[in-house]
Amino acid sequence: MNAVQRFIRSRVLLLTASILIVAMCLSVLVQGQSQAALNRTVDQNSRGLYDVLVQAKADDNGGLMQPDIATGQGGISFEQLDSIRKLSGTSVAAPISLVSRVTQNLESPRLDATDYLGFNAGLAGTSGDPTATDPSKWPAAESVLNDTPKKYRLTASAVSSDGHSDQTLFKTTAEGSLGKAKLVEEEVAGGKNVRIQGPDGETGIKFPTPAGGSEHNLFNLSVSLPMAPQVTESVVAVDPVSERALLGTAGDFLAPLEKAPPADARNAGAIGRHFESLFTNGISMEQLKEGPDFLGVKLKYWAPLMTQYQQAKRDGQLTADSQAIPLIVRSGTALDLKYSVKIEEIDDSGNVTKDVGTVTRSLDKDYLPFVSKSPFALAWPGSKDLSQLMGDTGSFSQGLYNPATWSTNFAAAPAYKDGEAAANGAVDKSATPGDWVTVNRLPDKAANGAAVDQTQRDPVDERSYRQNLETGKKLATPLAMVYGTFDAANVKDAAGDVNRLPLGGYDPAPFTLTKDASGTDVNTELKPSLSATGLVSQSAGAITDYYGLAAARGYEKNASVIDAVRVRANVPGSWKQAQPEVEKLANEIRDMGLQATVVAGSAREDANIAVPGYSKDGAGKESPLGTVQQSWVRQDAADAVSSSLTATNLTLLFLTLCGAALLTGASTVSYIRKRRSEAGTLRAMGWTQRKIRSWVLAEFGVGAALLAVVGVALSLISWSAATAMVSASVLVLYVGAAFVAAQQLRHREVVDQEPQHDERLIAVDSPLTFANRQLSTNKFNTISLAVAVGVFGAAVGGLVALLIDIPRAAGASALSGLAAASIALPSIILGVSGVAVGLLLTMVTGRFELQAKRQYLGTLRAMGWNPDMLGQVRLFENAMVGAVALPLGIVGALGIGLLLAPYAALWAAIAGLVAVLCWIPIATKVVQ
Amino acid sequence: MTNELNLDREAHDRMTASTRRGAHKTRANTIVKATDHATPLELSNITIHYGGGKGGAEAVNVVDDFNMTLHAGEMHCVAGRSGSGKTSILTVGAGLTLPTSGRVFWEGDSLETMGDDEIADRRRALIGYVDQGGALIDGMSALENVLLPAVPDGEVEKRRDMAKDLLDLVGLGRRMRHRPAQLSGGERQRVAIARALILGTRVLVVDEPTASLDRAAANRIISILKDTTSDGIAVLVASHDHELVRQSDTLTELI
Repeated sequence: MNAVQRFIRSRVLLLTASILIVAMCLSVLVQGQSQAALNRTVDQNSRGLYDVLVQAKADDNGGLMQPDIATGQGGISFEQLDSIRKLSGTSVAAPISLVSRVTQNLESPRLDATDYLGFNAGLAGTSGDPTATDPSKWPAAESVLNDTPKKYRLTASAVSSDGHSDQTLFKTTAEGSLGKAKLVEEEVAGGKNVRIQGPDGETGIKFPTPAGGSEHNLFNLSVSLPMAPQVTESVVAVDPVSERALLGTAGDFLAPLEKAPPADARNAGAIGRHFESLFTNGISMEQLKEGPDFLGVKLKYWAPLMTQYQQAKRDGQLTADSQAIPLIVRSGTALDLKYSVKIEEIDDSGNVTKDVGTVTRSLDKDYLPFVSKSPFALAWPGSKDLSQLMGDTGSFSQGLYNPATWSTNFAAAPAYKDGEAAANGAVDKSATPGDWVTVNRLPDKAANGAAVDQTQRDPVDERSYRQNLETGKKLATPLAMVYGTFDAANVKDAAGDVNRLPLGGYDPAPFTLTKDASGTDVNTELKPSLSATGLVSQSAGAITDYYGLAAARGYEKNASVIDAVRVRANVPGSWKQAQPEVEKLANEIRDMGLQATVVAGSAREDANIAVPGYSKDGAGKESPLGTVQQSWVRQDAADAVSSSLTATNLTLLFLTLCGAALLTGASTVSYIRKRRSEAGTLRAMGWTQRKIRSWVLAEFGVGAALLAVVGVALSLISWSAATAMVSASVLVLYVGAAFVAAQQLRHREVVDQEPQHDERLIAVDSPLTFANRQLSTNKFNTISLAVAVGVFGAAVGGLVALLIDIPRAAGASALSGLAAASIALPSIILGVSGVAVGLLLTMVTGRFELQAKRQYLGTLRAMGWNPDMLGQVRLFENAMVGAVALPLGIVGALGIGLLLAPYAALWAAIAGLVAVLCWIPIATKVVQ
Repeated sequence: MTNELNLDREAHDRMTASTRRGAHKTRANTIVKATDHATPLELSNITIHYGGGKGGAEAVNVVDDFNMTLHAGEMHCVAGRSGSGKTSILTVGAGLTLPTSGRVFWEGDSLETMGDDEIADRRRALIGYVDQGGALIDGMSALENVLLPAVPDGEVEKRRDMAKDLLDLVGLGRRMRHRPAQLSGGERQRVAIARALILGTRVLVVDEPTASLDRAAANRIISILKDTTSDGIAVLVASHDHELVRQSDTLTELI
């Protein structure tokens, strides 16, 4: 029988070689795959829309970058911007600045009750529009009101919420009688006149000024409601061309801004006068809706400007310096503001006789800053809108009546102080609040110039988390010139989720309240406040260009008004590939005296921020908000994640190989025990020790050759030094085992005729003492098995530690989550293979004595030991092995845990304990 | 009881003589068919097959319709070539394995009606089993091995002196503190026999006690077995040792 045949016949050697090959392939391939997945994930997610953030100055936050980069503080001039653009390494340099805070009064809301009088040619406006319904098809008159006026009480209220608590902004009540309207024909000079008139005895309902009262018209009875609260928005300035280059197709919304008129063609008065003459001379509805363009914009977009122009002119706000500022406005609002009207029917004594209902409308996606997309109208219960019978007159809006108030008291970035860092690197901070800001005030004058009753509102104090900076000159009233809309969510999407770098004021990072003031866990997304200076701000209300910024802030040319420049390097490839060029570019920018932060390789990371002094009660006592969480930007996150998880991978690989080494040792012992008698026979036949040694080594040589072939093949396929090292290690391990085996098989004279000293031994009088004697007699086997079981426990502990800790070990950034997920499966496979090796080790080691155990259990059975007692023997034996293995399993698991994942080491130890305890009944069952 | 026993022994002698006159052509020859429920061991219509399961191995018909009754104080030898089923009959008789068909009676009670625990308890009280080579527990001295059957009943200390006497009886009084590895094959067999007798067993089932022993050692074992029968113990022995066959009271030769 040659060596190959003997190798195959010797199942232990075949099994060992097979296990080593499998372990080698698995560990190398899985580790390789894991590393590749990790590199791919990190590379794909670590280069955002720009590579370098340039600021005039910025706080050092220990590698964690605040998301708010548009502060209004400026500091970078256009000359410096040009210099950055001229650098050979620059692909895109996109400037951004916070322009202003803009406060506007929302359009006066109204409550519409269907009070339709039917078609009447005598009423103006009931015909003429080609899109109007044919008069013969108008429905019959209908109304939700009574012929005889009834007395109603209307209670209008507005409630705002920051997501955590509600704030009632006002609650105003008005009473009066309302009834069904009628058409009145009157004889006038030259013919008849038809007009709409309320029923006899109707008083109407009038809320305090600036609300206008109730009014009958063709389709509705409209009640003018109290003015909605003021809303403060922010405006940012970008260069539309470079911004589009930065954002790609997501920046297409900025295209209209590129067609905005030049700076010297933006005089608000000149534009207003042009439109006045246009409207005075007459313009068709078709022209109004579809064209012609004026200054590159469809006529319908000029309607808000015209409304505000007329109002500003009437109020004397418009001066020769007033500028029209081109804006792309945000569609929708993140502000939580609900406006409700409760309608009750009452008797003469004021007692409620019927609850008609409550109608509510929120500021939401219909809302557009600087322009009203649709009238803020609430419908009386049971009402329907029949105004479409007159055609598509509502396709353009009337705009907001009053020009917005532009203020250079605009927001700077919130201030934060560092706190403690968590085990995974997550950062704790505390927000530093500024002064209190009073919101919820009415304008001094109504649209008609009448004084406004200021007692209708209780002003609300909101905490400012931003500093006011006085910059620029005193402004002439600017007028909004709306060129289009943008969706803030699309901008966020373009930036990506993992490495979402701050693009500017139009993509603020949201805040989530994670713990309230009492420390209770909550999970509430906070909403922006009315003032826009609170902790949470919504995306900019509008985006303008730098001419707009100059006009709004009164700056001269080349002032240093750029807050930040986002620079993309002119180098393709992954973060790692681009890193040298990006660093070089950043250094060149630094040489200009600017701060250049390399953000390629960054990822967002949640920072926990304690918020003190957030609100105050009626007595003026301040209370904290709790802890909020916001995504900041972790610099060099890609490097940290990559090196951390690579280390985890290599540690796992090392541990798997350690398991393979132990397994090889155990199987070698098993081989020696099996072949010892065979070696004795060969010696009796006259074989020399040298020949027996060669005989053994030849068998091992077959396995070694097999391992070498597989190792070389794997190394060539993967072309990796790690693979070659692993293969070589396994081969060395196996060859070492071969020499040990050959050495151990030499003949030994054993002469032992010493009688047993019973007094030194525990008397065998029960299954427990029998088991004890068996284990103490076979110390080598007992310890071998205990070591194997301990290794098994440690492997299980290691796997548990790994599973618990991979996300934490990777760090706290969003990239680490992705990266950890990408290597989770390969890591689990490696960990499970470690557990499998541990289990195999117990099985191989257990087989040392399995036959002997079965034999003596059979002997005991033959002498009348019943199954229960035999079961006790097995259980006690395994329990005693388990007891010896337990410290090893726990300490091993703890050690692996500390090596792999200190955070999860305790859980690893517990898992090791449980694994060893579970082994006891399993092994008891196997020996049965 | 004694008379009955004597009558039975006469019957045995007749049957044995008959058996020795010529080889039977059946696979197993019934020597005695006892109906006395007091007989310690009776095998009735025992058939033992091995294999033929799901693995596809061909079924081996080891024993076919074997009958035997063992009486107190007699030594019955099951002889036959290797693989003829001698050990199988012994393990079935000792209740260690179940026959494919047929019934085993211990003192008139069928094993079919007993559970594992009851079989173990009855075996401990009735049967002492000595397997081929005299399987001893390696880590224990000869004395401890002899005392092992007393462990389940907690009578280790109570029977210690008896164990020493038994070891003396089998000629190992000076070797009682030696471990199995320090004993010769014959000594191991004698320890195993002493162990089988420790609980006052009434049936001794011994498998190939003289195999691989020299003549002197084998004769010593045979002598011990014969001595036990004189104490009223029935001995069922499997062997192809001519001397043992010759000295046995009854014989079944398996073909």
